[in-house]
Amino acid sequence: MTEPNEENKEKDVKNNSEEPITVHVDELKDAVEKEIADAGGEDIKIGVYVCQCGGNISDVVRTDLVAKELEKFPNVVVSRDFIFMCSDSGQELIKKDIQEKGINRVVVGSCSPFLHETTFRKAVSSGGLNPYLYTHVGIREQDSWVHADHPKEATELAVHLMEAGVAKARLLEPLKPTEIKAKKHALVIGGGIAGLQAALSIAKADLKVTIVEKSHFLGGRVAQWDTVFPTDEDARAVLNRVIEEVLANPNITIHTGTELIAAKGYIGEFNIRLRQQPRGVSEDFDGLDEAIKVCPVEVPDEFNFGLSKRKAIYRPYDGCVPSGAVIDWEHCTKCGECLKVGKKGSINLDETPHEFDITVGAVVVATGFDPYEPFKGEFGYGEIPEVITLPQLERILSKDGPTKGKLEVNGHPVHNIAMIHCVGSRQKEGVHKPQPDGKVNDYCSRVCCTATLSAAKQIHEHFPDTNIFDLYQDIRTYGRGHEDYYINASKNGVTFLRYFAEEIPEVTKSPEGEKNPVMVKVKDHLTWGYEVEVPVDLVVLAVGMMPTPIQDLIGMLKVSQGNDRFLLEVHPKLRPVETAIAGIVLAGTAQGPMTIREASYAGQAAASKVIAMLITGQVELEPFVAKIDPERCEGSGECVKYCPQEEAIRLETFTEDGRTFQRAVVSPANCNGCGVCVSVCPNRAINIQGWTLDQFDAMVEALAMEVSVLEDA
Amino acid sequence: MKTDKEKVKSKILILATLSGGYLGADSAGQGNKEYAPNVYIFSVMTAAIFPPEFYIRALEKSVDAIIVMYSGSDCPYKGAAEHTAKMISQAYEMMKERGMDQRRLRLSAICTVCVDPFLEEVAQANELLDEIGPIERPVPAVTEAESVTA
Repeated sequence: MTEPNEENKEKDVKNNSEEPITVHVDELKDAVEKEIADAGGEDIKIGVYVCQCGGNISDVVRTDLVAKELEKFPNVVVSRDFIFMCSDSGQELIKKDIQEKGINRVVVGSCSPFLHETTFRKAVSSGGLNPYLYTHVGIREQDSWVHADHPKEATELAVHLMEAGVAKARLLEPLKPTEIKAKKHALVIGGGIAGLQAALSIAKADLKVTIVEKSHFLGGRVAQWDTVFPTDEDARAVLNRVIEEVLANPNITIHTGTELIAAKGYIGEFNIRLRQQPRGVSEDFDGLDEAIKVCPVEVPDEFNFGLSKRKAIYRPYDGCVPSGAVIDWEHCTKCGECLKVGKKGSINLDETPHEFDITVGAVVVATGFDPYEPFKGEFGYGEIPEVITLPQLERILSKDGPTKGKLEVNGHPVHNIAMIHCVGSRQKEGVHKPQPDGKVNDYCSRVCCTATLSAAKQIHEHFPDTNIFDLYQDIRTYGRGHEDYYINASKNGVTFLRYFAEEIPEVTKSPEGEKNPVMVKVKDHLTWGYEVEVPVDLVVLAVGMMPTPIQDLIGMLKVSQGNDRFLLEVHPKLRPVETAIAGIVLAGTAQGPMTIREASYAGQAAASKVIAMLITGQVELEPFVAKIDPERCEGSGECVKYCPQEEAIRLETFTEDGRTFQRAVVSPANCNGCGVCVSVCPNRAINIQGWTLDQFDAMVEALAMEVSVLEDA
Repeated sequence: MKTDKEKVKSKILILATLSGGYLGADSAGQGNKEYAPNVYIFSVMTAAIFPPEFYIRALEKSVDAIIVMYSGSDCPYKGAAEHTAKMISQAYEMMKERGMDQRRLRLSAICTVCVDPFLEEVAQANELLDEIGPIERPVPAVTEAESVTA
């Protein structure tokens, strides 16, 4: 203990006064310069960059004033604001300042670090600096996007946050990334087209892949369609080409009837627990037709979207993969009738689910979509039998559908059809009934316009006497070859009627004795708002897409959902298939409405990310592990005592200048940077590299500064 | 009830882990969910690094409330969540000794998609500061003995 000198005494008096503590810029500048001089450290030169984000930030935060304010701070030699720091020209600014102005620390205030921290580290690196001499400050998600009504306060907040970033930057040290081993094995959740495409691409790169599919069959929604646009190919033919390749690839293991029940771990090593429901029927069972006949249970056939019934022993269609039948355990009464037919021992009604574990380096989430299910009475659905959805029409048009491809409803032929677009899409609050979560589907499902016109084309080709009335808000045939369907429909005599979302068409049952069972009324804006009445035999609702409900999976994997309930990528353009959880990527319609073509390339994009992660068997991770300060470590051993990781830290005996002492030593490969050791060290001798306590102290101190940028302006 | 201007004078520090709270805050931002502009969010890799005296120092120096937003039982670091809770309990003891309102420090599990819980924590902290006001400084300094945690 030493006596305080006069200067310190004066400071103590000030610190113990009732006045709030305020640190002024000049004082801080002097203190920092003195500290650096005392430490004999390098000449710290900080470059500060405030991103306008094309108005996303600068529409609320006065980025020019923030940059101007930051100029005043110690060690800041350059301070700029710029329209897009992530652009090539923005990054070039950083590189140029490193090379021409000699800046050796960089602070960027912009969007979330999850979007562009890596971008700016790379820019810093290509300018010749160690990439970890960089501090990222979030002033978009954490400021401008949440304080739009308080621009002055938002600007001051940005200054404070940036100053805290500068305070941290002063104490940064160059770091090197660490590498961990990664399992060369990926898990694909979902056996639809996106999951299959992802699995195939990963397997072709000689990585192991496990596909888990919740249902007992591969193929997902594509197996339910008849023909697919824009090639008018048979959907199953397209699907089977992919499935055949998947089945032939020795790197792929498939578990159908299987769900995730637990997930732990991190990129490189996710420990996954799976539960597989038994099929109950062996592959070589030879009495399926008879078993189906004797089964007394009948339930709506989900494969035909409820247009027909199936039994509790079933398979969705001839040619499905796997080809064997299954027991529907939810509805089977175990009456035993099926056991009496076919080869003995082929059916086992006492089978139970089994659980097993796998360890994978990365996970692809390809859980797909459900067609929007209209509410009872929405456009007459569920009340008028002649009102069906577009997926149901697809099944009707299919050769193995409930009518074997005949265009009929309730046994009656169909001559006049009304097809209504945007059912369950582009909904408006107050007009449409919300989902149970209180939200309407305000997004466009993108696929339905072309799918509807494709069905119209198919009907025209197979049933040329049919009249089609197409009721739409906007025709969005956006993809290559899609517009042809619109042109084709116009040439084929499809009658287009345009409605607005606030004035949705009215569908009613026709009075008894009328020729056509359903009446559709619409205010047609192609004829300047005329009320048009269309008597029809069938109404087809072009329903949109909703993500398959996967709340349990979302909870296990900790991936994010958007407001539209689809899974959320990190950035729609820059990291379009990655989630915020390293090692977990998205594929297909789990992420948003997509065509089969788009889902296929989303699957392949997800695969390319997985391949890049796992191909070397090592994942490069940030170097944020514990580091001992040998000057401060006195060998107390507290860090060793409390460290939760095995062999991450140990005490070793050293001899220096004839003195023997103990000191902690970190094994970086075993340290995961949990930080427990930091808080228990009595001497502040251990820190997580890049996240030191001294840095946080400095950041907190920066918040004490008074900021009044708008008055200065 | 404090005016907006007075509220801004009270500072709330959020120490948000990159695996939990920071993503929750990001999600709130992406949804343009407005909250009071007196919230300073620092990303932290893990909240287990902070010894109890860190919180006291922060309250002493500059901020009036601290919310540690970690991933709770979903913390990717084995043992770190429990340890963080332990450090905060020790900080509560130190706050009690100093006569500081312990409600100024909160530990809250916020997941990557926890937008509403995030907003609720911020609102509650502001309600608290409306009630008890900013910190009356100075706060008794941390002694050398107290900095030995364990």
